[in-house]
Amino acid sequence: MRRRTPLADALTYLVLLVAAVLTLAPFALSFMTAFKSPQQFASEPALNLPNPITTENFVRLFSGDYSFISPIAVTAQMVAVILVGQLLFSIMAAYAFAKLRFAGRDILFWIYLATLMVPQVVIVIPLYVMMAQVGMRNTFWALVLPFMFGSPYAVFLLREHFRSIPDDLIDAARIDGAGDWRILWQIVVPLSRGIVSTLAIITVVSHWNNFMWPLIITSGRDWQVITVATANLQSQYNANWTLVMAATTVAMAPLLVLFAIFQRTIVESIALTGFK
Amino acid sequence: MPNLRGLRSPGHLRHGRLSGLLLAPSLFGLSAFLIFPILIVIWLSLNKWDLLAPMRFVGLANYADVLTDATFGNSLWRTVIFVVSVIPLQTALGLFMAVLLTRGLPGSGLFRVIYVIPWICAPLALGVVWKWVLAPYDGALNNLLGISVEWLSNPALAMPAVAGVTIWSQVGYTTLFFMAGLAAIPDQVLEAAQLDGAGGWQVFWQIKLPLLGPTMFFVLVTGVISAFQAFDQIYALTPNGGPEGTTDVIATRIYLEAFQGGFNLGRASVMALVLFVILVVVTVVQQRFFADRITYDLS
Repeated sequence: MRRRTPLADALTYLVLLVAAVLTLAPFALSFMTAFKSPQQFASEPALNLPNPITTENFVRLFSGDYSFISPIAVTAQMVAVILVGQLLFSIMAAYAFAKLRFAGRDILFWIYLATLMVPQVVIVIPLYVMMAQVGMRNTFWALVLPFMFGSPYAVFLLREHFRSIPDDLIDAARIDGAGDWRILWQIVVPLSRGIVSTLAIITVVSHWNNFMWPLIITSGRDWQVITVATANLQSQYNANWTLVMAATTVAMAPLLVLFAIFQRTIVESIALTGFK
Repeated sequence: MPNLRGLRSPGHLRHGRLSGLLLAPSLFGLSAFLIFPILIVIWLSLNKWDLLAPMRFVGLANYADVLTDATFGNSLWRTVIFVVSVIPLQTALGLFMAVLLTRGLPGSGLFRVIYVIPWICAPLALGVVWKWVLAPYDGALNNLLGISVEWLSNPALAMPAVAGVTIWSQVGYTTLFFMAGLAAIPDQVLEAAQLDGAGGWQVFWQIKLPLLGPTMFFVLVTGVISAFQAFDQIYALTPNGGPEGTTDVIATRIYLEAFQGGFNLGRASVMALVLFVILVVVTVVQQRFFADRITYDLS
């Protein structure tokens, strides 16, 4: 259908390749640095491969003063609680909006949509004040409460999908004596596996990576998440780049592994969720 | 198919209680952590408070203070420069890469996956990685080029560096949306154009680009909104507003004002509200602009 010339193809590949190298170079360089000894880092060019490959930066990162074990554990717990809460409560709300009839439904849904406009930067100050007033600064619950009751974005996406499930299917189940709770979890949710897993991925990525709110609401080591720990390490040990690159590697590795496993789903779901 | 059951259908209240139960948790979350905070931030903006001394109502004094403050003026200006540097390049590059990737060459799928990688990573972690890449003496870039430029502490270079890192991390994500948009253009339309003798260049500018309207709208709105709020990578690359405040965008200024150096909650709240108003206006303006220009009619 399209006229093709070998020259155009070659140029396309050249551009794609250059872009790929530019995309991957910072990752490759930082991983290499993380496996170098500080001595080699100080004495050789950045492009040199680690020689010998050493894990001493990671050993230091996980032991003694910097102990990155706690930030990883805190982040994992935070993400797990937010993930379960957000999926559960968003699914419940979306089902009500998509399949149930009640007074004020449209107005209420409009309000949910309107809250999509509220940016995080605008509400961190009042959220901080609220947490401070109830004595919850620097607690695990301060990290998760603002996000664990569902998100308007998730409700919106799920509702769009639930609406496409035929009402006949649900009515048939009702006639067979299934209650709405059972219909929701045994019919509607299994039929929406794609969008639910997409939302799960988005939630895990955005909360594993969240920085501003944990930075503000936690202090000290107890509830430090991985992004905050990485930022602190960098500002304290500015010149110690091999150690800092080990930290960024650890901060990024879990999601990169997740991405490697689910890359097809993830890539397709990003484009999908932009539209309906 | 339009769904015809509406509020007027018989028995519309029959799920009232069940709906209430299903909606209760998210309604609580939304009210407590999204809507109520907006009211609080408005209240805070009318008071002087540092969390310690008793709160003092000052009316619009914080507004007068902030809106005539050179530091905040600088932040607004820096934010505009940041948005204007990032958005056109990020959008154009994303569109360009999408066009290349939809030529259907073997291996395009792999390239697409590679370009998305930065999106999956924490902007904070990427910021720290780039801080090393751009470091003056032992950084990778200077090392590679054999120079010793102070990318992040030179006032003339800090903003381009911060914008560049942001573009680098966003292009792949933008590309995905344009790929989806390009794939949604029906083949018949393109074939008809080619039959009429339109060349590749003409097809792109006169057919594909106008039909990408909805995609362009989505990419620009979400891009501009997130650029106005950019914080993580800027905080990592140039803490404390950067050299001579050149990267002191609104988000970092709000953070510094509220949480570093004295808890000026009233002033910070005014800044947060100014940002909120800007975002609402930007969204509405973009909506108007595109409402006039998007054509869905292919006949």
